[in-house]
Amino acid sequence: MDPDLALWLMVIILAVVIPVVVVLLIGVLKAASSIPPKIDAIAGVAAAASKDLDAVVVLLTTQNYISQITGSVLNYGGSLNVALPDY
Amino acid sequence: MKIQVAIILLEVLLIILALAVYLVATIVQLFKINAGLNVVLPAVGEIVAKTAPVNGVLDAINKNLVTARDALEGLHLKKAGADAAGLVESVFPGEGANFLRRVGKSGKVVNVGTVYTRGVGILASLGRGAPIGAAHTKGPAVRDPKYSTTAASMLYPRPGGARARPKSPVVGREPAHSPYEAAQTPGERPRDPSGGAVEPGAAPQAPPTGGGDVQKQPEAAPPAPAPERITSAKGTRPWEQAPPAPPPSGGGSDGQKQPEAAPPEAPPTSAPGRITTAKGTRPWER
Repeated sequence: MDPDLALWLMVIILAVVIPVVVVLLIGVLKAASSIPPKIDAIAGVAAAASKDLDAVVVLLTTQNYISQITGSVLNYGGSLNVALPDY
Repeated sequence: MKIQVAIILLEVLLIILALAVYLVATIVQLFKINAGLNVVLPAVGEIVAKTAPVNGVLDAINKNLVTARDALEGLHLKKAGADAAGLVESVFPGEGANFLRRVGKSGKVVNVGTVYTRGVGILASLGRGAPIGAAHTKGPAVRDPKYSTTAASMLYPRPGGARARPKSPVVGREPAHSPYEAAQTPGERPRDPSGGAVEPGAAPQAPPTGGGDVQKQPEAAPPAPAPERITSAKGTRPWEQAPPAPPPSGGGSDGQKQPEAAPPEAPPTSAPGRITTAKGTRPWER
């Protein structure tokens, strides 16, 4: 193969590769640049959600109340069982 | 150097330069992402920590509610019997079949509320011999719209009609209901009001009407009222029994003594046989 021809071929290949590489790098950079704003938004939402979940502690009180109400309802049912005739 | 080699070198240089620029920018963005994730992760950890006991609490609440529901449904089935699903269906449409499935029964669910109004249906189903489902569900309601209470009472067979109910006993009318014991000596007083023993043959005394002061009043011999006049506590007052005296002559200054003064001479209201009152003794009334 003629050495000159090989060199010219190399020049052409590199000329094609350069824009492809640049386009790929631009895509990676654009994708990376779009992530930080979303992470900032997630951080804000997570902080708000964590603050909202402070009321979860009240569930323990609700559980206690429901336990008491269930006991009262069962007692009432027992009274009805005695007071009303069976079918 | 050949020109081809120079061009190649230039192109390689451009490639390296592009790689350097864009990769450095990408690295910068990745650092930003890392910083952002460092902010997000603690908040997410808080969320996880705060929601950790929710499952247990909700399971306990659900367990309590299911226990109460099962007990009440069992009671409902025990008291309402075969009409229990119809009652549930009348209150919560669509739940009758679920109720039957939960209690392990099967059959057609008849909406009791379609046949009766809600209150009548419940009362009838809780009673005995209730003809639930006797009428067609699309027919008219088996009740009297004007006298619904009577209609509910008519559901139960009762001798004498729906209104025939046993009357409550009246305390005191019958001897069995009297709170007092029968007297051993009826009509006889063993002691007089002053506490002394009463002789067996003595005449019965008039019963006292009040306290000690009232008992001494008969000894004071009050003046006998005129025969025409009505004797009463009202007739013993001075202006009602004293003879008429000359009325005081005018003057508003002695108005305070007028009630104690003698009644008017002959006012129309103080005629014998009529009840005189203090109202007729006042000057402006004469």
